Amino acid sequence: MAAAAIEFQGVTKVYKRLFSDEKIAALSDVSFQVQPGEVCAFLGANGAGKTTSISILMGFFFAGSGQVRVLGHPPGDVRAKEQIGFLPENFAFYKYLTAPKLLRLHLALAGRNPAGSEAHIADLLQKVKLTGYENLKIGKYSRGMVQRIGIAQALLCDPQLVILDEPTSGLDPAGRREVLQILAGLKAQGKTVFLSSHILPEVEQICDRVVIIDHGKLVRTGRLEDMLASGNRVEIAADRVPDGFEQSAAGQGAAVERGPHGARILVDEARKRETVEALWAAGCDVTSMNPLRSTLEELFLKEVDHR
Amino acid sequence: MKLRAITMNTFSGLVRNKIIILFCVGCVCVLLLMLSTLLVMRNMRNVQNAEQMQAAVLPLIASMMGLVSGFGSLLAAWSAADALSSEMRSGTILAVLARPVRRWEFLLGKYLGVQLLMLVFVLIMIGLNYALAWIGGAHIQAAPWELIVYPMVRYAMFSALGLALATMMHPILAFCVVLFMTIAAQIVSPAANTTFLPEWLKTGLFYFLPSTNLLSEMRFLTITRATLEAATWTEHAMALSYGLDYALVCFLLAAWIFHSRSLSRD
Repeated sequence: MAAAAIEFQGVTKVYKRLFSDEKIAALSDVSFQVQPGEVCAFLGANGAGKTTSISILMGFFFAGSGQVRVLGHPPGDVRAKEQIGFLPENFAFYKYLTAPKLLRLHLALAGRNPAGSEAHIADLLQKVKLTGYENLKIGKYSRGMVQRIGIAQALLCDPQLVILDEPTSGLDPAGRREVLQILAGLKAQGKTVFLSSHILPEVEQICDRVVIIDHGKLVRTGRLEDMLASGNRVEIAADRVPDGFEQSAAGQGAAVERGPHGARILVDEARKRETVEALWAAGCDVTSMNPLRSTLEELFLKEVDHR
Repeated sequence: MKLRAITMNTFSGLVRNKIIILFCVGCVCVLLLMLSTLLVMRNMRNVQNAEQMQAAVLPLIASMMGLVSGFGSLLAAWSAADALSSEMRSGTILAVLARPVRRWEFLLGKYLGVQLLMLVFVLIMIGLNYALAWIGGAHIQAAPWELIVYPMVRYAMFSALGLALATMMHPILAFCVVLFMTIAAQIVSPAANTTFLPEWLKTGLFYFLPSTNLLSEMRFLTITRATLEAATWTEHAMALSYGLDYALVCFLLAAWIFHSRSLSRD
């Protein structure tokens, strides 16, 4: 089995206030792994320790204890950083540079010759929809445009591991969709993506693995598919459900939830046929029937609220 | 390639820095004030007082340029401190250090960017020296390399000191510490003849503080050809190696502190 792309093993980070004994535990014994080729969502409420974890991963902060490996190397090792594309949260770039100049600077920082990279830079700018703004200085960019150029610089050197801290922050719905498309493209190319985001329905569409932390502690980690499965239950949507159907449904172990657009009936898979027949017999229209699956948002709220 | 990119980018950022622009405007104003005095002296010059006037011009230029050059030392310290702190404050450092750039490479690039700025400053200053001497009807005897190398070594010391302090504290505080150290260095220098400090403390502080008496290029502006020739290569080597050693120690200290600190936004 290949080495994990990201490995956190019992990582603890405590912030100490200067001239005071007060200590704040930002991370307590956090352990998880992300395998190569996975898209991993790193979730947590504000202040949960996500950015601290990412900063440790990138070698900006040092863990108090525990072990961190990135692509088989310690954090901050240039051999690892050569293969990483990183987008920091609320990042800033040199305001006096234009987008192509910034990307050329980052190519030089990556040890590559920026000469002859015009076509690659133009491609990237097109990918993040910044074509036509080549002569505008970054200081004049909107928040969303800065986010786009940030994504472009993260993808600049064809990284094996892409670490994105709030990549859709500041973007409009179309921009968010474009970022998701880019992430889906990276997934299709077999790249490892580690992203922190608060927009869970979007994350749910692309991620394979989820790591949830709360107050610096790991709450849950695993494959998204396994985490969202809710047992052998199905969800039946129906219209024109008569009053009193609840009583007969309860006899079949089904629960009825009424809403403005019809009713939602939750039942064990073994009794779905029986329930549908009962609905038809009562004159209802059955509009859909799907295996019951929690959403990532429900799971996240459950895990975080539970604590 | 990486080092060059960081150096050039630092230089680009510094020449856009409002405080540095303000400082340069201040220096130009000082020199313009001097220009009017020199023009008056030139007009007053005649056959009878030519020698006397010439003897007055060089010390005047030396004193004014000494002031500008002294401010240059503080500019070097401030530029270095701000070059590092502004990256930390704005968060631009995160995108740079996410690249395969070692922390000492980043710091060295910043340092070289400041040296590039100071080289431009020194070249402009030398140009003005010669221009002002010509306006005043005098001739500078010193070799141009002395007027370049001496201030550059001094600025290298101050920028390394500013950088080392900025890795530990806010740039304004770092600048104040440099200012305090500069004043203290003047007090403990042998030329000051300070009597209220014991000799052992004065000697210790003289080596610890950025003592730049030996590194002042002003002495070369006022001396005559005879005394200039008396300055041996050994003297040059000693003075310059002191400055370079001091800069190296400060830079290594900065690199060591920077290597082990968190890159949080200040």
